[in-house]
Amino acid sequence: MKDLKGINYEEYFASGHRACAGCGEALVLRHIMKAAGPKTIVAQATGCMEVVSTPYPQSAWRVPWVHGAFENAAAIASGIDAGLKAQGKREKVNLIAMGGDGASFDIGFGALSGALERGHKFTYIATDNEAYMNCLALDSLIMTKDGLKRIIDIGVGDMVYAFSQKNHKLVLKKCTGIFDNGKKRIFEINTDSQTIKATGNHPFLVLERNGRGKQSELVWKTVEELRAGDEVVVLKQGLEGKSHIFPKIQLSKKGDYKVNRIREVTIPKKSSKDLMKLLGLYVGDGWVRVEKAEIGFSVPKGNRARVPVKQLIRRVFSVDATRENENEVYLGSINAAKFVESLGFGKGAKNKVVPEWVFTLPIEEKKAFIEGLLLSDGYKIGNSYRYVSASKELLQTLRLLLQTMNVRVGKIHQQTKAKGTKVVYRALKKASTYGYICFSLKKGTNSKYRSQNKYRDFLYGNKNFEMKKIRSIERKRLEPTLDLRVEGEHNFIANGFVVHNTGVQRSGATFPYASTTTSPAGKKIPGKQEPKKPLPYIIASHGIKYVASMSPANLLDLKTKVQKALAIPHASFLHAYCVCPVGWHCKSDDTIELSKLAIQTRVFPLYEIENGVVKINQKVEKPKPVLEYLQLQGRFKHLGEEEVQKIQDYVDARYKFLLDMDGKKAFDVLF
Amino acid sequence: MKSVVEASEAVALAVKLARVKVCPMYPITPSTHIPERIADYIFDGEMDAEMIHVESEHSAASALIGSILSGARSFTATSSNGFALMYEILPILSGMRLPAVMAVANRTLAAPINIWNDHSDAVSARDQGWIQLYAESSQECVDTMIQCYKIAEDKKVSLPAMMCLDGFTLTHVFENVDVPEQAQVDKFLPAFTREDTLDVNNPKTFGPIGFPDSFMGFKKQQQDAMTAALDVIKKANSYYKKQIGRGYGDGLVELTDMGDAEYAILGMGTLCGTAKAKAEELRAKGKKVGVIRLRSFRPFPVKELQAAVKNLKGLAVLDRHISLGSNGPLFTEISAITPELKLFGYIAGLGGKDITLKHIESVFTDLEKGKQSREWLM
Repeated sequence: MKDLKGINYEEYFASGHRACAGCGEALVLRHIMKAAGPKTIVAQATGCMEVVSTPYPQSAWRVPWVHGAFENAAAIASGIDAGLKAQGKREKVNLIAMGGDGASFDIGFGALSGALERGHKFTYIATDNEAYMNCLALDSLIMTKDGLKRIIDIGVGDMVYAFSQKNHKLVLKKCTGIFDNGKKRIFEINTDSQTIKATGNHPFLVLERNGRGKQSELVWKTVEELRAGDEVVVLKQGLEGKSHIFPKIQLSKKGDYKVNRIREVTIPKKSSKDLMKLLGLYVGDGWVRVEKAEIGFSVPKGNRARVPVKQLIRRVFSVDATRENENEVYLGSINAAKFVESLGFGKGAKNKVVPEWVFTLPIEEKKAFIEGLLLSDGYKIGNSYRYVSASKELLQTLRLLLQTMNVRVGKIHQQTKAKGTKVVYRALKKASTYGYICFSLKKGTNSKYRSQNKYRDFLYGNKNFEMKKIRSIERKRLEPTLDLRVEGEHNFIANGFVVHNTGVQRSGATFPYASTTTSPAGKKIPGKQEPKKPLPYIIASHGIKYVASMSPANLLDLKTKVQKALAIPHASFLHAYCVCPVGWHCKSDDTIELSKLAIQTRVFPLYEIENGVVKINQKVEKPKPVLEYLQLQGRFKHLGEEEVQKIQDYVDARYKFLLDMDGKKAFDVLF
Repeated sequence: MKSVVEASEAVALAVKLARVKVCPMYPITPSTHIPERIADYIFDGEMDAEMIHVESEHSAASALIGSILSGARSFTATSSNGFALMYEILPILSGMRLPAVMAVANRTLAAPINIWNDHSDAVSARDQGWIQLYAESSQECVDTMIQCYKIAEDKKVSLPAMMCLDGFTLTHVFENVDVPEQAQVDKFLPAFTREDTLDVNNPKTFGPIGFPDSFMGFKKQQQDAMTAALDVIKKANSYYKKQIGRGYGDGLVELTDMGDAEYAILGMGTLCGTAKAKAEELRAKGKKVGVIRLRSFRPFPVKELQAAVKNLKGLAVLDRHISLGSNGPLFTEISAITPELKLFGYIAGLGGKDITLKHIESVFTDLEKGKQSREWLM
C-alpha cells in the first residue's frame, strides 16, 4: 500500500528501536527502507543505528540485515554481491551498505573506495550527522527554574537551583559555565531516598560535628573523603511553584480536513488540582489516540477509580464521558485528545514519564497528581504507599518529583511476575517485568524537643533542605562526566543518574567550528578548524553513474533518489543529512526545522550527479543567513560574529562551486 | 593423480576441488602464489567462482562475512602483516559462527620488516576463536584444506578454520603431490548448504549488539563448539583416510617413533620434518627418541597430548614464536598440562632462521643430559 505521493505504508525499519527522540538518522533510515522495499539486503557499519536497532535478541529490521565492524560495510556488501552472483541469485535483490560519517568519510573510506572501483552492484548510503556519535545517553537530571532538565541540555545563563550557604535556603542562581570533565571514575552515593553518581573529587556538603554543646558546621568534602554514615545536605522540598500555563495548541474546528463535527469541550488554560488528579489517573490507566479523537481510561466497573474518573472528566472538560462499557471509560473529543497528548506524559504503558513542567507546580497540585496516580496503580501498605509501573523512566522521574515534596522515598525495585499473577487489579496476560517505588508521608516532630531534634537534624526547621545519612558509597566504572559552574554559590542540585554521557567526537565530516568532545570550544581554539571532507565529489570522481545528497526535509526527493540509485547496474552513492539532537545540542523537535534550514541557508544543498552531470534539485535563490541555522544548535553557541562570518563565507564559496557546475558534465563516467 | 607442485598450488588445487564460490584476495608474500594460481583457474574458466580483488586484507576478511552469509563457500589467504590487518575481523567471523576457511602462509611480523617464516602471525591470534591446523608437507596442505571445510561447516562446530603452512619452506617448495579426484572430494565434502542466509524471503538479523546480559552466553557457546571440534577433527581425518587413503596421526597429534621413546621433541609445521630425520638417525644409533607433531593448535588437544607424553623422561618444546615478556606460547601451554614432566622450552627459527639438524641434535643431547644448554636456537 502506498499513499498518494507514492510513499510506502509498510515499515521495514520498524518502530520500537531505541533511537533518541528527534533522531534524524532513524527518520532517514525509515524512509530509505520505505523507498527500497522488502527485496533489500542491508549491510551496516557499527554505530548508533546498529546499536539502537539490534539489541540481542531484538531487531527493528524487517529485511535481511548484517553488521560486522566499524569500517567494513562496503566490503561486506562486496562479499554479498559476489556470493549472490556466484550462486546465480543476484537478480531482483537490492543491496544497500550503510555507514555514518565516521564509517564513510574516515575509517571506512578505503573499503568504500575499493568497493566502488570494483564496480559492485550496490548503493552506499552515508548517513552524516557530522561527528562520531554513540547514543546510549541518559544524563544527570538537574533542578532548574523551568523544571527538571538533563545536564546536557543546560545552557550557560539558565537558572538552576542552589543551596545558599549563608541562610541555608533554596535559591535560584545563574549557570555560568559547563565543563566536559572527560572520563572519570564514578561513585554512586546512596541515602534512603536519594541516589547520585559523581566523580571522586566532586564536593558534597557534609555536616561536621564538633561535639555536644559546640556548634556544628557544614563543610565541603569530596566523594573520596565521604564515608557511610556521614550526613549530607539534600533537598527536601522545592520552592512553592505556580500553576502551569499551557502553551497554545492548534485546535481542530469543524470544516478542517476530515472533521465533520466537533464536540465542544473546555480546554484548560492552566493547571489545576482537578486536572492534575485526572492526569495522575491518566498516567496509570489512560491512553490517548488523536487519530481516533479519544481519551480512554481502563477502569472496570466496580473499580474505585471509575467514579472519580467520570467526575473529573466533567469538571475539567465540562462534558460528560461520551462512552463507557464494562472495562473502559472514554471521552471522545479531538481537541481534548490533542491537549492531553501535548502535555508530554507519553503514550504507551512503558513510555510514560513525568514531564518537566510538573516539577514547577504548587505543592497542592503535585499532591493531587500523586493522589490520581495512587488511585490507579497504587496501593497502601501500612503507612506507606506503593506505586507500580512498567515504565522505568516514569518511576525515575516520579522519584525525583517525590523528593521535592517532603516525603520519604525508597529505591526503585524491579520484579518479574509470571503469567496470570494479579498486579493491583489485573491478571497479567504474559510474564512481565515491572518496577515499583514506595513512599510515605513524614510525621511531624514535637516542637517541645526542639534542641534534640536540632541536634539530630542540623537543618531542623528548614523548609527546603534536610540532612540525610549516607547508606553506601559504591565504586563504579569510568564514565564521561560533565560539571556546571554556578554563579555565587558554586553548587547545584542534581538528583538523578549520570549513566553515560554521549560520545560526540570530531570526524572528517564535522562542520567547521562545531564543538565536539575532541575538538572542543576552547579558549584558544574555538572548535573544529577544518572544512568538511568533500566526500560526494571524491566518490563522483570514481566514475560511478549516480551520486546524490538527500535530506529528511524533502522526503519525495529522498524516495526518488534511493530508487534511482538502486536501479543503477553498478555502484551508486547517497549522502544523507542527519540531525543528531544529542550531539548537536539542539531541541529534539527541531530536527525537521534544522533539516529545512540547512537547505534554505545553503549549508546542505540537495543535488545529484547523474552520468557525471551535476544538477541542483532545489535551488536556493534567496538564502537565509547561516546564523539562523547555527543559533538553534548548542555546538555553535561559543561562536562570535567573526566566526559566524567565516562560516557564511565558507558556505557561500561551497555553494558557488556547486552552482558553477550546475547543468554541466563535471565528472567522467567510467562504468 | 600425482603431480609435482609447490604447496601454494596444492592449496589452490584444494580450493578448486572444494568447489569454493567466492575468493576475496589480497596478495602478500609468501601467500601470493595462492591467489595467483586461483586467479589462473578462474580467468581460464576452470573454476566457477567469483574473485574479489579487495583493496586490503581487512576487506578480504570482511567480504567473507558477506559471501558466507549469502550462502557461498568462501576462501582467502594471507600472511604476516596482512594477517595483522585482518585481526579485527577474526573474532567477528568466529563470533558470528561463520565457517570461513583461510590459508595462512606463516611469516613473521615486522619490525624489522622480514618476509620469512615463523609462527608469530597465526599463533598471536590463538584467542580469536579460529580453528588452527598446521601442515607439514604439500601433500598435507591439499588434504588439510579439504578437511578444513568439512570441520568448519560441521553443525556441531560452525567456526572458521585456518590452515597454517610455513612461508617459503612450504609455500615455495615443489614436491610430489597426490591430488585427489573431484569425484572423491565431492563425496567427502558435499555442497555447502546453510539455513541462515541473507534471504529477502526470510529476513534475519546478523551481528546484533550483545549487551552484558547475553555476551558471555555467546562466548560459552563458542568454547563448547571448540571442544566439540576436537572430535570432529579426528573424525574428518579418519573419514578422509577411509575415502581418499591418507591420514595424519589421529588428526590432532601426529606421533613418530613414540612407542618406547624416552625423550621427544614437540613442535608444529615443517620443523617436525627436520626433527623426524634426526630422530631416525639417532634411533639407528639405539637412542630411544621420538617426535610429537601438534597438528591442531586450536582446539588444544589436552588429553591426546597428555597420553603422548605419559612415559617420557623428558620433552623439548620448540616454539617458532615468542610471547615477548613471557615464553614460547606452546611451551607455556604444554607445561600447564604436564606438571610432572621434565620440560625444556626452545625459541627457534624466528624470521626465517633455519632450524638445522645440528640444532635438533643439541636439543636431544640436552634432554639426555637433563640440562638445558641454551634457550634460543640461533
